[in-house]
Amino acid sequence: MHALKLILAFLKINIQQVLAYRADAALSLVMNLIWLGWELISLQIIFNNTSSLSGWSMGDLLALLGVWRLANFLMSSLIWPNTNRFNQAVRTGSFDYDLLQPVSSQFLVTFSRITIWRMWELLIASLLIVVGVGMAGRTVTAGGLLTFLALVLSGMMVLYSLWIVLIAFTFWFVKFDNNVTILQALMDAGRYPANIYPPWLRFVITFIIPIAVATTVPLQGLRGDLAVGQTVGFVGVGVVCLFLSSRVWKAGVRRYSSASS
Amino acid sequence: MFKIIARMWQVNWALQWQYRANLLMYVLYGLVSPVVFLSVWRSVAAAQGQVAGLTVNDFTVYYLALLIIENLTGEISIWVLAYKVQDGTLSGELLLPVHPVLTNTLMNNLANKALTFVVLLPVWGLLYLLFRPDFSSITAASLLLTIPAVLLGFLINFLLGAMITCASFWTTQVYSLSEFLFGFQLLLGGIFVPLTLLPAVAQKIAFVLPFHLFLYFPVQLVLGRLTPEQILWNFALQGLWLLLTALGFRWIWSAGLKRYSAVGA
Repeated sequence: MHALKLILAFLKINIQQVLAYRADAALSLVMNLIWLGWELISLQIIFNNTSSLSGWSMGDLLALLGVWRLANFLMSSLIWPNTNRFNQAVRTGSFDYDLLQPVSSQFLVTFSRITIWRMWELLIASLLIVVGVGMAGRTVTAGGLLTFLALVLSGMMVLYSLWIVLIAFTFWFVKFDNNVTILQALMDAGRYPANIYPPWLRFVITFIIPIAVATTVPLQGLRGDLAVGQTVGFVGVGVVCLFLSSRVWKAGVRRYSSASS
Repeated sequence: MFKIIARMWQVNWALQWQYRANLLMYVLYGLVSPVVFLSVWRSVAAAQGQVAGLTVNDFTVYYLALLIIENLTGEISIWVLAYKVQDGTLSGELLLPVHPVLTNTLMNNLANKALTFVVLLPVWGLLYLLFRPDFSSITAASLLLTIPAVLLGFLINFLLGAMITCASFWTTQVYSLSEFLFGFQLLLGGIFVPLTLLPAVAQKIAFVLPFHLFLYFPVQLVLGRLTPEQILWNFALQGLWLLLTALGFRWIWSAGLKRYSAVGA
């Protein structure tokens, strides 16, 4: 309850900040729509030349694009803005104030900045998923839908945990202010199903920077490609990652010795 | 003049070394998209034998050559110049008796390119081992012809980038503008797909616009896939676009300077 109140307070501050930069917000909305156009054109070009990409149809890929955009929404609304704030706070030493607050530092670092107006991206993502699944002509069962939601959530948990670990590295290597670039770079690989990649790349995006767990896997769940055991396994991995990352974070905070000391 | 350029090179080379860890990240970042697109087309080509006449190896050599060409003709003017217009540090450079963009920014680009190239080579070597492409279509002649094509291509790209950056004299939203242009490069320059796979109308547009001149054209040239007529035509087009971008840059730079009033002035 207390946490929810804090998040609402953060939201209020963020809305006030956005209102000061309306043109920026409007422009990035337009840019986002342009990129959507680009993504649709590129899918069209692929399917001009083939009818199936490793067993995935155009509809499947549209739905995958939707799931990818969900993960990207997590990046753009929460991870990027908070990373910028965090890196700056560590560089200038103002992170000290975060530590002094009577609430978990990980909570503060996660939710201080929320780019709330990006909410509409959720709408586009959901639309892509619904249209894509419809186009592919797949019947979705209630169980499939539940599996899908659970897998999206656990995928997000894995990405979020990885992010926490990456920014916690800053406590050990102060100059590591490019911490999230590698995550963002590999995001692009999530637009396409993991099985088109050569084995080494599939290994990287499944186990090292697990983008595929947040994009390909949930859709496989929706299509009913996964056994119950596998689904439970993926959700378990999400929970374990969340736990481990908070341990890494705490160890990092203990190492933190402020700027100029 | 030569002494000035040499000194600017020294300064920018040293500056670039400061950010060597970040450079590695950017090189890796730049690798992801081409490798993703390569994987898409490889998997399509492998499933049906060929795509519009291109085999798996054709796609592999295309994207691996593209990685090198992209590095050689790429440019970063917006990242080293736009903020100077916005925070007013450009004023100091304007006092120098040489053109700040054609000396300092250009040298910064070249120093960045030299260092990223050094970083790229081992990573590229690794990709070579992973994908095992057959580069037998490259000849000494095609390599020699590619040198002027890359040089001209870089100049066109650099002038285009400098023009976009000059828009920062009028607006603070130059980064979106450059992102917008990058979308065109992806689609019409030949990064997403070899241009011959585009729909006919899009191909016609792409072959008139300058983007393919510093991406698709040098790649096809080095791979020896162009007829002599096509090579001549594209060199002529490079000459034309170089002239156009040079004139355009001259105009927008002088118009921008008239508008320029540093922060706080």
